[in-house]
Amino acid sequence: MKSISNISGVGLRLPHLTEMVATLPSAGWLEVHPENFLANPHAAELLAELSTHYPISFHTVGISVGSVRGIDRLHLKRLRSVIDRIHPIFVSGHLAWSTYGNDYLNDLLPIPCNEEALRVVTAHVDEVQEVLDRSYLIENPASYVGFCSSTMPETEFLSELVRRTGCKLLCDVSNVVVSAHNMNYSAYRYIDDFPADAVAEIHLGGYTREEDEATPDSELWIDTHAAAIAAPSWDLYAYALRRFGSKPTLVEWDNDIPPLSTLLAETTKVDKAMHATDPPCVDSGKCNRNRSEGHYADAR
Amino acid sequence: MPTLAETQLRFRDAVVHGDMQHVSSLASLLLGGRSPEKRLIVHQRNYRQSLVDALLTKFPATGWLLGTQTLTEAATRFIRECPPQAPCIAEFGAGFPDFLSLSPPAMRAPCVREFAELEWYVGKVAIAVSGIPVALEELSTIQAEALPDTLLELQPGLHYLNISWPVDELMELYLSETIPEHFELLPARVCIEVRGARGEFRFSRLDPAQATFRKAISEGHSIGDAAESALEADAGFDPGRGLVALVDAGLIQAIRKGPDESSCS
Repeated sequence: MKSISNISGVGLRLPHLTEMVATLPSAGWLEVHPENFLANPHAAELLAELSTHYPISFHTVGISVGSVRGIDRLHLKRLRSVIDRIHPIFVSGHLAWSTYGNDYLNDLLPIPCNEEALRVVTAHVDEVQEVLDRSYLIENPASYVGFCSSTMPETEFLSELVRRTGCKLLCDVSNVVVSAHNMNYSAYRYIDDFPADAVAEIHLGGYTREEDEATPDSELWIDTHAAAIAAPSWDLYAYALRRFGSKPTLVEWDNDIPPLSTLLAETTKVDKAMHATDPPCVDSGKCNRNRSEGHYADAR
Repeated sequence: MPTLAETQLRFRDAVVHGDMQHVSSLASLLLGGRSPEKRLIVHQRNYRQSLVDALLTKFPATGWLLGTQTLTEAATRFIRECPPQAPCIAEFGAGFPDFLSLSPPAMRAPCVREFAELEWYVGKVAIAVSGIPVALEELSTIQAEALPDTLLELQPGLHYLNISWPVDELMELYLSETIPEHFELLPARVCIEVRGARGEFRFSRLDPAQATFRKAISEGHSIGDAAESALEADAGFDPGRGLVALVDAGLIQAIRKGPDESSCS
C-alpha cells in the first residue's frame, strides 16, 4: 500500500457511499465511522468494495475509553471482525466517554485530566490495543467545559497516556481551535506542548459559533462538522505541520453534508497547505518561535 | 470532590433527562465561562437531536401517519426513557413501535404499533445482503426420507409479521404518495412477508399456513417441523408446494442436511 503521509483524506459518510462506489473519484484515502457499518451489511459490502480502491481508516465513535464503568467488549469484538475484513490503515477514537453501563449516549463527553481518569483511560486503551492487536490512535477532544478536579493540562495527560500505553495520537486541529476559544487558552501553545512524536494523523473540520449561555455577550464554538474549515483552523494547521511534519490529514464534514465534490475540493486545500509547508524543525521540537509568541500574546 | 464514577452518573442523568435539575448537580464541578453548567446544553442537544433525528429518519411513514410533531414528541420521550444500549445507531429504535403503542398517539391511531413495526422491518431488510439462491435441482438431490429433517437457511433480508391490522394497505398508500378521498382501515388479521436486500424491499401477504411454514423455517426449524406447524394452521396445506414456492421465490440461500451437519450448498 502506498504511503499516505502527505496525502489528504476525506471522511466518508453514508449519504455519499453509493456515489463514491459508482464514480470512484480521486481521493487519497477515506475514513469512516465503523459503527455505521457494523449493523448495515449492505453498507459494509460497499465499503469492502471501496477498500480495493482506497486506503480506509476507521474512526470509532463508540469505544468510550473514558467510561469508568468499562468498555463494551462485544462492540470491540464486532469491531475486530470488520477490521479483519477491511484492514484499515488506522483505527482511532476519542479521549472521551460515551457509555454509562449499557446506556450509549451518542456523544463525546468530557473527562477530567487527573490520575484517576488517566488510570481508567490507560486500562481501556491497553484493552483496545490488545483485542484489536494494533496501535490505537487517540484524538484530543473539542471541549465546552473543564473540571475543577483536573490536575494536569490535557497535553500532559495525552503524553502520559502515550508513555503508558504506546498508543498514537490523532491531533484534531479544529478541536484545538474550538477548545482554546471555549476554555480560554492559546491554541498555539497547545500545539507546542502536544506530544509530536506520537502524532499519526490530523483532522480538520468545520465548527459553528453560537451565543455562550454560560457567559453573556460571548461566543461558544461548537465542533459541529457542519461547515467548511474556518480560517483559524487553516492557520493553526499550517503551524501544526511545521511542528509535526506532514501527516495524513482528514477533512471531516458530518452534518449538513455538502455534495461529494465540495468535500473533495476541501481536500485539495489540505494538499496545498501540506506541500507549502517547510520541513519541521528538529532541534528544539518547536517551530518558528517568533510566530508562536505572537499568538501567545493574543491569548485571552 | 466526587469520584469519576459519581461525576459520570451525574453527567449521564443530565444528558439523558435534558433538564436543569440534573445539570445543577454538576455546577460545582465544572469550569468554563461564568456558569459552566449552562454549557452542558451542548451535550444535551447532541444527545436529543442526534437520536430524535435517527428515529425520524427510520420512521418517516409513521411520521406521515401521526404527523411529524407528534412523532418528534414521542421520540423525545423514548430517548429519555430508553437510551440506546449499543453504539450502532442503525440498531436503535427496535423498541420504538412498542413504545408508541403505550403512548398517546396510539389512542389516535390504534394500528400505529403494527404500522411502525412494519416500517422498522422494511428498513431492516433493505440493508441486508442476499446470497445466491438455491435452485430446485439442489433441493431435489436430497433423499425423500431425509427431507423432513433438513434445515434450510433463508435469505437474511426476510421477516414475517402476523398482525391484527392490515397496515400493509396503509404503507402502500404512503409509498404511492396518494391520498384517497375515503380510506377506512378495519382490524383484520394478516400475515405479511417483508423481503429486501441492497437498498430494495417489498412486502406481500401470505396465507396463514404458508406464513407459518416460512416463519418456522426462518427460525431454524426443520422442513418436517415447519410443515407440521403449517398443517395445524390449515389442514389443507401442501408442504411440497410450499417448499417449491420457497425455492421459486429465491428465498433459500443454503441447505443443511440435519441439525448437526454443516451447510452443503
